[in-house]
Amino acid sequence: MVQPVVTEHPAAAGQSARPDPEVEVVSVQSGLEKDAFIRLQWQINKGDRNWVPPLLMERHEFLDPAKNPFFKHSEVGLYLARRGGEPVGRIAAVNDRNFNAFHGSKAAYFGLYESVNDPGVAAALFNAAKAWARWRGLDSMIGPMNLSTNYDCGLLVDGFDTPPYLLMPHNPYYYADLFGACGLKKSKDLYAFERTAAEPPPEKFASIAEKVRKREGLLVRPVNLKDFEGEVTRLKAVYNAAWEKNWGFVPMTDAEFDKLARDLKQIVAPGLCLVAEAHGEPVAFSLTVPDFNQALKHVDGRLTTFGLPLGLAKLVYYSRKIDRVRLMALGVIERYRKRGIDAVLVVETIRRAQELGYRGGEISWTLEDNHLINRAIEACGCVRHKTYRIFETPVE
Amino acid sequence: MADIFEKCVNWKDADLAKLAGHYAYYRVIQETDGTEVLIDGKRVIMACSNNYLGLANDPRVKEAAAEASRKWGASTCGSRVLNGTTELHDELDHKLAEYLGREAAVTYSTGFGTNVGVLSSLILRKDTIFADRMVHASLVEGIQAALGDCKRFRHNNMDDLERLLASADPESGKLIVVDGMYSMEGDLANLPKIVELKEKYGARLFVDDAHGFGVLGEGGRGSGEHFGLHDQVDLQMLTFSKSLASIGGCIAGPKEVINWLKHKSRPLVFSASMTPGAAAAALKSLEIIKAEPERRARLWDISERFHRELRGMGFDTSPSVTPVVPVVIGDQTLCLAFWRRLTDAGMFASPVVKPAVEKELVRTVYTATHTDAQIDRSLEIFQRCGREMGIIPYKRPSTRVEVKMARPGCNGFYSSAEDGITAISVERSPVKGSLGVGEVLQQAGRPLGERISDAMEIVTWRALNAGPEDVKRLAELPSTLWQQRRRLRTKLMGAGVKLLQRRQAGARSAERE
Ligand SMILES: Cc1ncc(COP(=O)(O)O)c(C=O)c1O
Repeated sequence: MVQPVVTEHPAAAGQSARPDPEVEVVSVQSGLEKDAFIRLQWQINKGDRNWVPPLLMERHEFLDPAKNPFFKHSEVGLYLARRGGEPVGRIAAVNDRNFNAFHGSKAAYFGLYESVNDPGVAAALFNAAKAWARWRGLDSMIGPMNLSTNYDCGLLVDGFDTPPYLLMPHNPYYYADLFGACGLKKSKDLYAFERTAAEPPPEKFASIAEKVRKREGLLVRPVNLKDFEGEVTRLKAVYNAAWEKNWGFVPMTDAEFDKLARDLKQIVAPGLCLVAEAHGEPVAFSLTVPDFNQALKHVDGRLTTFGLPLGLAKLVYYSRKIDRVRLMALGVIERYRKRGIDAVLVVETIRRAQELGYRGGEISWTLEDNHLINRAIEACGCVRHKTYRIFETPVE
Repeated sequence: MADIFEKCVNWKDADLAKLAGHYAYYRVIQETDGTEVLIDGKRVIMACSNNYLGLANDPRVKEAAAEASRKWGASTCGSRVLNGTTELHDELDHKLAEYLGREAAVTYSTGFGTNVGVLSSLILRKDTIFADRMVHASLVEGIQAALGDCKRFRHNNMDDLERLLASADPESGKLIVVDGMYSMEGDLANLPKIVELKEKYGARLFVDDAHGFGVLGEGGRGSGEHFGLHDQVDLQMLTFSKSLASIGGCIAGPKEVINWLKHKSRPLVFSASMTPGAAAAALKSLEIIKAEPERRARLWDISERFHRELRGMGFDTSPSVTPVVPVVIGDQTLCLAFWRRLTDAGMFASPVVKPAVEKELVRTVYTATHTDAQIDRSLEIFQRCGREMGIIPYKRPSTRVEVKMARPGCNGFYSSAEDGITAISVERSPVKGSLGVGEVLQQAGRPLGERISDAMEIVTWRALNAGPEDVKRLAELPSTLWQQRRRLRTKLMGAGVKLLQRRQAGARSAERE
């Protein structure tokens, strides 16, 4: 098995960047300023053919406190760096009160980071974010979180050569160096694994999974989209119970969960979201979605061109051609953990994906020190192909 | 041939504002007791004078001024150098120097003249001024009159100041010029850091304490005393038109410098001295400031209460830490309309627009003699008008950023917007509104095609994502419109004024061609 090398960035070991005095960092408030904030992503990433532009309006809605339930319990500051009037960088500072209450911490997140390759800009942005956090009495900062672990998070540090899967970040290679120069240290690495669906899971693995299923008397069934409301309520409990002990986890509020479920409902493939029930009670679930990024890639973030819904048409067209899936969440409630139920769900997912004609997929993300899961994933024939990193820094 | 008056004939901005009912300046006051005034026959609460300690209407001060006029006449009819120095002027110089603990002081007839006079005579060809970008207009005037070079640093941005100091010619004389307390936003100069830099680079420090004197520090000696850095301030400037309840200005510092100014500074040499009445009023006020510190305490108490309540309602009052409480609006038309509503409701506050400030605001200042009942009434008016104009939400925000006040002893901060970042009450921002079709269409700098195309994008997205709540909201539209009618009217009016202005500008340039 090929193990990709995680690059250790030289800049992480020392030399510190100073804010460039020519750079002005302004707080983003109005809709138009937010527009500039969002569009900077295009300017920075345009040249990268692996970058998948998000939908412009989806980003607006994501950052709209009236629409995004995340803002109900969190406070967010957005900053845009300008040099001579031209936007050159951006950062978000977040106080996720649920996270801090849950972990008894006083941490801020930073996220939505973009900038040109210039330590002076990066330092100015981090200064702004830190000042924001200091003002709110927070003592450390972790990130990138866009805008919490319930959305996408982590900085891509290895595996730049392929496009990201749905809801996974992608960024220029130099960000890690910039972060290092601004005094940020590695906090945790997150792994993403890939495999083709063309070949069935290894014999041995499949037979173990089958044994587990029999032993536990599990019923594995796809989520019933007809009873959407009911399923969402059932799964919410499993989701929040399953992740509890994990690093970086924040329970989703009801509103957040409902919104996520509503958003995903538009793209899930029936049959790929699985629930495992023991004695009629859901004890585990897995959420696998078609990699919608494959369709998004073609529309450059817009549903319309000159007012005509060309993007929309393209999205509909290309979404039929999606041939990869992402297993984005898999949770087992406490009592049933370490019994191999996860393997049952993975095997079942691979089998079903194959049947539906998908060619491959990703399992992401997992914590680097969750050895049990990582080993199991590799045992079923997956290869680690991307590494994302969460950084941390004190707010002095 | 161009006529020098032509620009004045063509300048119609003020007329347009009057037309729109938004003209806020040169209001005639018919009667005043310091806390309330009569304007257009209507009693309104005075919330925009700089009469911080309420001494302008103190019987003792008024009597001192009257007595001095009786004894010394209505005017000196001469400048300080010649026949304009009475015993009163001399006494005032000495008393001020003594109270400020400085070697010498000299009084001018206005604060404005003091700033112009000091900078223009002190700064010669080889010298450089390092001035904050937000210093008072009189200092800007002085800088323009000075022979030396001037570098302006970003407001309270110490990295910027250091960069400028470091890049300046080491041989040149350097003077750092700041306001101790900024009159519009109510934040302080970051004196601890400035003093550090001044020592590192061998510069001198000039502080305009027009607003700080009588307000800041244990004894009211100003921003230097507040930060415990009184002796590190080389030149301290005061005006009498604020706490000292008179008219005039003063510069205090080393005796050689004051002596130089006494002979070289043109506003001192070529302008008549303060009237005896004004000098006596300032003397009396100084006496009262020394004897009655409780006035200062009262000022801080009511301003803190007022400030806290405003933030609680959801107003953006950053970055003030002093009795100057700005209410940031951020839009010129809305700001003037808000001021108009406040006036109609019984408040006299001052709207401040660009370029005097970065973001349009309504500035409020209370005096130590305002009663609690007057503060209550003001708060009620602000809340009502703010809600009606859509500046604050109807529901009080559940959280807010705590108000900081630079009372004596609380000197660990200089602004509630540290590191140049503004603290904003939570609910209104940092991230607020969504991108509206109107906004997109109005962007002046972009081609129309792009704007329309973006607007279509928004509409398409909204149509695709319309849920049951949206339909409900659509049904509520008429009542929402009714609630927001004032705001709509303001917006329409603003658009009209802008259109007229643009038409005029167009006509003007066409004429020229
Ligand atoms: C900071 C500052 N300096 C100087 C002045 C000028 O003082 P005077 O009103 O005495 O001319 C003012 C008054 O507006 C001021 O606010």
